Amino acid sequence: MRIYTYGIIDSNATIGIGGPISGLEGTPVYNLCYRDIGAVVSKLINPVKEINKDDVLKHEEVVERLMDNFTVLPVRFFTTFNQEEEVLIMLKEYYQDFKENLDRLRNKVEFGIRVIWASETIKNRIIEAAKKFNPSITLKIDGERSRTINANVTIPDNSPGKNFAKEKFENYKIDKEFSEEADRCIAFLDDFFSRFVAEKKLEKLKTDNLLLNAYYLVEKEKEVDFKEAFERAKNTPGDLKYLFSGPWPPYNFINLSKRPYCFKDFIEGLRLLEKETDTQNLTDKASL
Amino acid sequence: MNRVVEVDNPEAFAEEITKLQDALPKKIDANPKNVEKGLAKLVLTLIELIRKLLEKQAMRRIDAGSLTEEEIERIGETLMKLENKMHELKVIFGLKDEELNLNLGPLGDLM
Repeated sequence: MRIYTYGIIDSNATIGIGGPISGLEGTPVYNLCYRDIGAVVSKLINPVKEINKDDVLKHEEVVERLMDNFTVLPVRFFTTFNQEEEVLIMLKEYYQDFKENLDRLRNKVEFGIRVIWASETIKNRIIEAAKKFNPSITLKIDGERSRTINANVTIPDNSPGKNFAKEKFENYKIDKEFSEEADRCIAFLDDFFSRFVAEKKLEKLKTDNLLLNAYYLVEKEKEVDFKEAFERAKNTPGDLKYLFSGPWPPYNFINLSKRPYCFKDFIEGLRLLEKETDTQNLTDKASL
Repeated sequence: MNRVVEVDNPEAFAEEITKLQDALPKKIDANPKNVEKGLAKLVLTLIELIRKLLEKQAMRRIDAGSLTEEEIERIGETLMKLENKMHELKVIFGLKDEELNLNLGPLGDLM
């Protein structure tokens, strides 16, 4: 038997943690307390099997239930301990870290906003604009299309080395302009949300199409304002596609000065969990 | 809790999220049958990272106008030979560009 962990909460209540909740394998979820905090766990009777989607969703469901009544530091999916004593040792050792995060994240939730833009159109526009400015420089991209861009630096075409450098430089200029355009677009969008958020994490161009992958930490009382801000952003003219999700537990806003075993790959693990959930949601929607 | 997931185009987002997941290196494939390829993949990924960094730095210097024509010529030739050599090595070990990807955190993916 192993002890499966869902999250750290700001309560030492041994009972009544949001009504009866069952965890993985259907076993009861309970709170293991240390001082004024607790680790919410359940018992895993069977040997560890292969991780499946149902388990991931069950983990998420338990964390969400806890969120209704407590501040939660969600623990990485499939974090287990040999026995309860190990959980208590971990709570004791990292008590201060957990307390600081619980205090900082109290009454706050996370929202995710992802934005897709028409990257190919943007790139073509950049190239066309440069072509008008200086039509003398031609560059082949993808071996099919001939494209023209501007280069402020003149490199004569009289050697393989210079030609190669020129080609690379022209690509570099396109990428640079593309990246700056993304910065401008993100700043414009972020301006809608900034005044309603306590903290934020913005990821630019994780893929060419994925302009923005943003996580916003929002006080619960500002949730409505934040959602309205999203609607305003969404209604601005432009060829952008949005994915809005939340409120989530604060997966991306937990800062630990040192990482215990269960938080070893904390952020990465939880992001994977979120992606799994997102993908499932999207797949479900797509199949409707 | 009133969780919402609103999405304009589920298929498009699913595709991008899948790309992101694929970009994460799962593990080094170093089983007895293909240990050579597994190691080559690891080493070539690191070389490719360094090559890309060199290339980017060179482009920044060209952009800043701090290089003479001779220096641009020399850098261009070096970058070209490096790229050709990498291409040869990839062919030898049967590796494709996308297999040498590396997630560089806030810098994005290598490829």
